[in-house]
Amino acid sequence: MNTVLSLKGISKRYGRIQALNNVSFDVPPGSVFGILGPNGSGKTTLLGIILDILRPTAGSFELMGKPPSAEVRKGIGTLLETPNFYHYLSAERNLRINATIKGQNYSDIDAVLEKVNLLQRKKSKFSTYSLGMKQRLAIASALLGNPDVLIFDEPTNGLDPVGIAEIRELIKKLSKEGKTIIMASHMLDEVEKVCSHVAIIKKGELLAAGNVDEVLVNEDIIEISATDITKLEQVMKAMTGYTKLQREDNHLQLFYPMGMAKLEDVNQYCFNNGLVLNHLQLKRKSLESKFFELTGKVSDR
Amino acid sequence: MLHLIKLEWLKVKNYRTFWVIFILFLVSIIGANYMTHEFQQMIFGAEAKKNPENAVVKMFLGNPPYFFPQVWQMASQVTSYLLIIPGLLTVILFTNEFSFKTHRQNIIDGFNRHQFITSKVIQVIIMAFISTLMLAITALIFGYAGDKPFSTERIEFVGYSFLQCLNYCLCALLFSVIFKRSGISIGVYFLYVVILENILAVVLNKYANNTGYFLPVESADSLVYAPIFEGIQKFFLTRPDPKYLLLTCFGYIVLYLFFSYRKFKTDDL
Repeated sequence: MNTVLSLKGISKRYGRIQALNNVSFDVPPGSVFGILGPNGSGKTTLLGIILDILRPTAGSFELMGKPPSAEVRKGIGTLLETPNFYHYLSAERNLRINATIKGQNYSDIDAVLEKVNLLQRKKSKFSTYSLGMKQRLAIASALLGNPDVLIFDEPTNGLDPVGIAEIRELIKKLSKEGKTIIMASHMLDEVEKVCSHVAIIKKGELLAAGNVDEVLVNEDIIEISATDITKLEQVMKAMTGYTKLQREDNHLQLFYPMGMAKLEDVNQYCFNNGLVLNHLQLKRKSLESKFFELTGKVSDR
Repeated sequence: MLHLIKLEWLKVKNYRTFWVIFILFLVSIIGANYMTHEFQQMIFGAEAKKNPENAVVKMFLGNPPYFFPQVWQMASQVTSYLLIIPGLLTVILFTNEFSFKTHRQNIIDGFNRHQFITSKVIQVIIMAFISTLMLAITALIFGYAGDKPFSTERIEFVGYSFLQCLNYCLCALLFSVIFKRSGISIGVYFLYVVILENILAVVLNKYANNTGYFLPVESADSLVYAPIFEGIQKFFLTRPDPKYLLLTCFGYIVLYLFFSYRKFKTDDL
């Protein structure tokens, strides 16, 4: 098995709305694969197609190197969009239904409820659960049978900060156990903190996919300023080593590939050219601005 | 298939709404027949009991309906007014899945769409079977309470009732698959079965050569007619041959299934 999931030109249309347009990428085994995009970008639609909830308008995909089937889905733990349970049944009875469909016995139920801290409330009806508890029950259901592949759609939705941290730890732990995790999220820091790979989707278009370090590559920025900003700009244009020079109000920004910016060199260069700096600062470009830069492309067109 | 039955059992086992309605429905089968049975006692009275072969009574009313063999038919006919309830339960159980989005979760967890809808059809068949069993028990009770000896003549009406129940429930299943929401599914189902189709049947029977008998639910209803006033019914009603009604009813059941499966298997869920 070279890929856990391989998408080939998936498109989905709802009437006049193109929800997904020719999306292709591969999810390697053992990765934590983030599908990143703003709300309404098509993340859930994409996962819905993978899970046979939605029919693609065009394209095909393979799961575990095989054509998709109900049998393959039994080996995947999934939380899609919202926790879906029978309101009138208790957590335990709901999980029995999930386990029965997956063809498993009930021995796992207490263990997965324990993992998400719901064991004490296993006899309570689902309808009495809070939003966070419902979400945790959905994660427990995904963990039934210890599947090798997990699909989480916004797994930290509705959780409090402690719950969010717990789920992140759980995902990291599952990843260390060698499981493949496919996770859709609109939260960048979530992806940054747990994912090894990422695909970025905006308005149904795949903008980038691959290793997190490659896709969300960071840049160093040196910010400088002098009394005569115009002269400074002229002098700096002659300097080499940076990738881009940009003037912002009363300072200049020099862009470098990550780890390549050296403040001393810039300071020395300016001094040698008869300029004394009154501001010199190294800034790391935030992942967030990189994300906006990437996802901004489509809307700008 | 046992797997599917087990799963549906896990879903309904602790669903109080279902059990309250279903048990009341089963009790109502006996209850409604008890009411009409009392009515028979009033009409036929002591005279009919003493002399069931009385020619005048027989000409107008037919035999007392709760005596063998008419009791099979009469109990089926009275029960037919209650069969809207299993249909209602079918809508509730199916649209619940849509409102809880558990139809999605079942597929995600490893059902295929065919299995999902098949499990619902099996549930309908079991419900129709229990309803028919209750009807048979009711008919036996009232039959043995009468003066005539046991007879299996006209027992085919119990089978017709089974088909009628399937017809009602699978019609409800189709409406549920089409509308997905419980409110609109229940509304449309009730209006169609109780009112709209009956109006249509009257109109078609009057102006279009009795074709009203061949409407989807009406085909089942016409199979299960009351064994009272049989002497008079002959003069007023030109009911089609049961063979054709049976075939039509069966045809509609196949169509309900065909469209329900097709819609559920091709839709976005």
